Amino acid sequence: MKRFVMFMTALFTFLTLAYPAAFAGKYDLKSITPEVNRALKGRQARYAQLQDMKRSGLVGENNKGFTASLKGDPAAETIVAAENRDRRVIYQALVDQNSLGPSGMMDVQRVFAEVQREKAAPGEKIQGPSGSWETK
Amino acid sequence: MMKRIRKFSGILMSALLIAGCTVKAVGDPDRPITINANVVIDIRGMKETATGIEDMVAQGGTRK
Repeated sequence: MKRFVMFMTALFTFLTLAYPAAFAGKYDLKSITPEVNRALKGRQARYAQLQDMKRSGLVGENNKGFTASLKGDPAAETIVAAENRDRRVIYQALVDQNSLGPSGMMDVQRVFAEVQREKAAPGEKIQGPSGSWETK
Repeated sequence: MMKRIRKFSGILMSALLIAGCTVKAVGDPDRPITINANVVIDIRGMKETATGIEDMVAQGGTRK
Protein backbone atom coordinates (compact mmCIF):
# COMPACT_ATOMS: atom_id res chain seq x y z
CA MET A 1 0.00 0.00 0.00
CA LYS A 2 2.94 2.27 0.67
CA ARG A 3 4.02 1.69 -2.91
CA PHE A 4 0.62 2.69 -4.15
CA VAL A 5 0.75 5.93 -2.20
CA MET A 6 4.24 6.66 -3.55
CA PHE A 7 3.10 5.91 -7.10
CA MET A 8 0.12 8.23 -6.78
CA THR A 9 2.35 10.98 -5.39
CA ALA A 10 4.79 10.57 -8.28
CA LEU A 11 1.95 10.61 -10.79
CA PHE A 12 0.49 13.73 -9.21
CA THR A 13 3.87 15.49 -9.36
CA PHE A 14 4.35 14.46 -12.99
CA LEU A 15 0.90 15.66 -14.03
CA THR A 16 1.24 19.03 -12.32
CA LEU A 17 4.89 19.82 -13.08
CA ALA A 18 6.67 17.65 -15.62
CA TYR A 19 3.84 17.01 -18.09
CA PRO A 20 3.08 20.66 -18.94
CA ALA A 21 6.81 21.47 -19.15
CA ALA A 22 7.35 18.62 -21.59
CA PHE A 23 4.79 20.12 -23.94
CA ALA A 24 6.12 23.69 -23.87
CA GLY A 25 6.03 25.11 -27.35
CA LYS A 26 3.23 22.86 -28.52
CA TYR A 27 1.13 25.75 -29.82
CA ASP A 28 1.37 26.41 -33.50
CA LEU A 29 -0.45 27.48 -36.60
CA LYS A 30 -1.38 23.92 -37.39
CA SER A 31 -3.00 24.84 -40.66
CA ILE A 32 -2.05 27.78 -42.86
CA THR A 33 -5.47 28.65 -44.22
CA PRO A 34 -5.71 31.07 -47.17
CA GLU A 35 -6.79 33.75 -44.70
CA VAL A 36 -3.78 33.14 -42.41
CA ASN A 37 -1.47 33.01 -45.42
CA ARG A 38 -2.78 36.37 -46.63
CA ALA A 39 -2.28 37.83 -43.15
CA LEU A 40 1.31 36.55 -42.91
CA LYS A 41 2.17 37.76 -46.41
CA GLY A 42 0.55 41.13 -45.69
CA ARG A 43 2.59 41.56 -42.54
CA GLN A 44 5.79 40.62 -44.34
CA ALA A 45 5.01 43.07 -47.15
CA ARG A 46 4.54 46.03 -44.79
CA TYR A 47 7.24 45.03 -42.30
CA ALA A 48 9.93 47.47 -43.51
CA GLN A 49 7.50 50.38 -43.71
CA LEU A 50 6.14 49.61 -40.24
CA GLN A 51 9.66 49.49 -38.82
CA ASP A 52 10.40 52.92 -40.32
CA MET A 53 7.27 54.30 -38.69
CA LYS A 54 8.21 52.76 -35.37
CA ARG A 55 11.68 54.28 -35.57
CA SER A 56 10.23 57.71 -36.30
CA GLY A 57 7.81 57.43 -33.37
CA LEU A 58 4.66 57.48 -35.48
CA VAL A 59 3.72 53.96 -34.44
CA GLY A 60 4.12 52.05 -31.18
CA GLU A 61 3.38 48.60 -29.85
CA ASN A 62 0.51 48.55 -27.37
CA ASN A 63 0.09 46.08 -24.50
CA LYS A 64 -2.57 44.07 -26.34
CA GLY A 65 -0.37 42.76 -29.13
CA PHE A 66 -1.37 45.42 -31.66
CA THR A 67 0.23 48.46 -33.20
CA ALA A 68 -0.99 51.95 -32.35
CA SER A 69 -0.79 55.18 -34.28
CA LEU A 70 0.67 57.71 -31.86
CA LYS A 71 0.67 61.00 -33.76
CA GLY A 72 -2.40 60.79 -35.95
CA ASP A 73 -0.41 60.56 -39.18
CA PRO A 74 -2.83 59.39 -41.94
CA ALA A 75 -0.29 57.03 -43.56
CA ALA A 76 0.50 55.53 -40.16
CA GLU A 77 -3.21 55.11 -39.42
CA THR A 78 -3.64 53.12 -42.64
CA ILE A 79 -0.66 50.88 -41.95
CA VAL A 80 -1.73 50.32 -38.35
CA ALA A 81 -5.28 49.35 -39.38
CA ALA A 82 -4.00 46.83 -41.95
CA GLU A 83 -1.36 45.43 -39.59
CA ASN A 84 -3.83 45.01 -36.75
CA ARG A 85 -6.35 43.32 -39.03
CA ASP A 86 -3.71 40.76 -40.08
CA ARG A 87 -2.49 40.23 -36.52
CA ARG A 88 -6.05 39.56 -35.36
CA VAL A 89 -6.42 36.87 -38.04
CA ILE A 90 -3.21 35.18 -36.86
CA TYR A 91 -4.14 35.42 -33.16
CA GLN A 92 -7.62 34.06 -33.80
CA ALA A 93 -6.17 31.16 -35.82
CA LEU A 94 -3.86 30.31 -32.90
CA VAL A 95 -6.80 30.36 -30.49
CA ASP A 96 -9.04 28.27 -32.73
CA GLN A 97 -6.45 25.76 -33.94
CA ASN A 98 -5.10 25.12 -30.44
CA SER A 99 -8.50 25.10 -28.69
CA LEU A 100 -7.43 27.78 -26.25
CA GLY A 101 -10.94 28.51 -25.03
CA PRO A 102 -12.87 31.73 -24.54
CA SER A 103 -10.08 33.51 -22.64
CA GLY A 104 -7.41 32.32 -25.07
CA MET A 105 -7.45 35.45 -27.20
CA MET A 106 -6.51 37.64 -24.24
CA ASP A 107 -3.60 35.36 -23.32
CA VAL A 108 -2.37 35.22 -26.91
CA GLN A 109 -2.52 39.01 -27.19
CA ARG A 110 -0.68 39.45 -23.90
CA VAL A 111 2.11 37.07 -24.94
CA PHE A 112 2.52 38.66 -28.38
CA ALA A 113 2.64 42.09 -26.74
CA GLU A 114 5.44 40.86 -24.49
CA VAL A 115 7.36 39.50 -27.48
CA GLN A 116 6.91 42.80 -29.34
CA ARG A 117 8.23 44.71 -26.31
CA GLU A 118 11.28 42.47 -26.21
CA LYS A 119 11.88 42.84 -29.94
CA ALA A 120 11.46 46.60 -29.98
CA ALA A 121 14.64 48.51 -30.81
CA PRO A 122 15.94 51.27 -28.55
CA GLY A 123 14.05 54.50 -29.18
CA GLU A 124 10.80 52.80 -30.16
CA LYS A 125 7.54 53.38 -28.28
CA ILE A 126 6.10 50.51 -26.27
CA GLN A 127 3.20 50.26 -23.87
CA GLY A 128 3.96 48.43 -20.65
CA PRO A 129 1.60 45.97 -18.93
CA SER A 130 0.39 48.80 -16.66
CA GLY A 131 -0.74 50.82 -19.68
CA SER A 132 1.91 53.51 -19.58
CA TRP A 133 3.81 54.33 -22.77
CA GLU A 134 7.56 54.50 -22.68
CA THR A 135 10.50 54.79 -25.04
CA LYS A 136 12.58 51.67 -25.01
CA MET B 1 -6.04 2.51 4.01
CA MET B 2 -9.14 3.05 1.86
CA LYS B 3 -9.24 6.53 3.27
CA ARG B 4 -5.76 7.17 1.87
CA ILE B 5 -6.71 5.83 -1.53
CA ARG B 6 -9.77 8.04 -1.60
CA LYS B 7 -7.66 11.01 -0.53
CA PHE B 8 -5.10 10.53 -3.30
CA SER B 9 -7.77 9.85 -5.89
CA GLY B 10 -9.34 13.14 -4.87
CA ILE B 11 -6.03 14.95 -5.23
CA LEU B 12 -5.47 13.37 -8.64
CA MET B 13 -8.91 14.34 -9.90
CA SER B 14 -8.39 17.88 -8.61
CA ALA B 15 -5.06 18.08 -10.45
CA LEU B 16 -6.72 17.01 -13.68
CA LEU B 17 -9.45 19.59 -13.22
CA ILE B 18 -6.94 22.36 -12.50
CA ALA B 19 -4.79 21.31 -15.46
CA GLY B 20 -7.81 21.94 -17.67
CA CYS B 21 -10.02 19.84 -19.86
CA THR B 22 -12.28 20.03 -22.87
CA VAL B 23 -15.62 18.34 -22.67
CA LYS B 24 -17.32 17.57 -25.94
CA ALA B 25 -20.99 16.75 -25.79
CA VAL B 26 -22.46 15.61 -29.07
CA GLY B 27 -26.20 15.09 -29.25
CA ASP B 28 -27.51 16.50 -32.48
CA PRO B 29 -24.72 16.11 -35.10
CA ASP B 30 -25.86 19.37 -36.69
CA ARG B 31 -25.53 21.20 -33.42
CA PRO B 32 -22.45 19.88 -31.59
CA ILE B 33 -21.92 21.49 -28.21
CA THR B 34 -18.36 22.20 -27.12
CA ILE B 35 -17.73 23.24 -23.54
CA ASN B 36 -14.24 24.53 -22.89
CA ALA B 37 -13.56 24.32 -19.19
CA ASN B 38 -10.65 25.99 -17.45
CA VAL B 39 -8.14 25.90 -20.32
CA VAL B 40 -4.74 26.78 -18.91
CA ILE B 41 -2.30 28.18 -21.44
CA ASP B 42 1.38 27.39 -21.12
CA ILE B 43 2.72 30.91 -21.43
CA ARG B 44 6.29 29.79 -22.10
CA GLY B 45 5.13 27.60 -24.97
CA MET B 46 2.98 30.37 -26.39
CA LYS B 47 5.90 32.79 -26.15
CA GLU B 48 8.08 30.44 -28.20
CA THR B 49 5.33 30.24 -30.81
CA ALA B 50 4.86 34.01 -30.86
CA THR B 51 8.61 34.58 -31.21
CA GLY B 52 8.73 32.08 -34.08
CA ILE B 53 5.89 33.81 -35.93
CA GLU B 54 7.36 37.28 -35.41
CA ASP B 55 10.79 36.06 -36.59
CA MET B 56 9.17 34.61 -39.71
CA VAL B 57 7.39 37.91 -40.42
CA ALA B 58 10.62 39.87 -39.89
CA GLN B 59 12.71 37.56 -42.06
CA GLY B 60 10.11 37.57 -44.83
CA GLY B 61 9.91 41.33 -44.58
CA THR B 62 13.66 41.85 -44.69
CA ARG B 63 14.08 39.72 -47.79
CA LYS B 64 11.81 41.95 -49.85
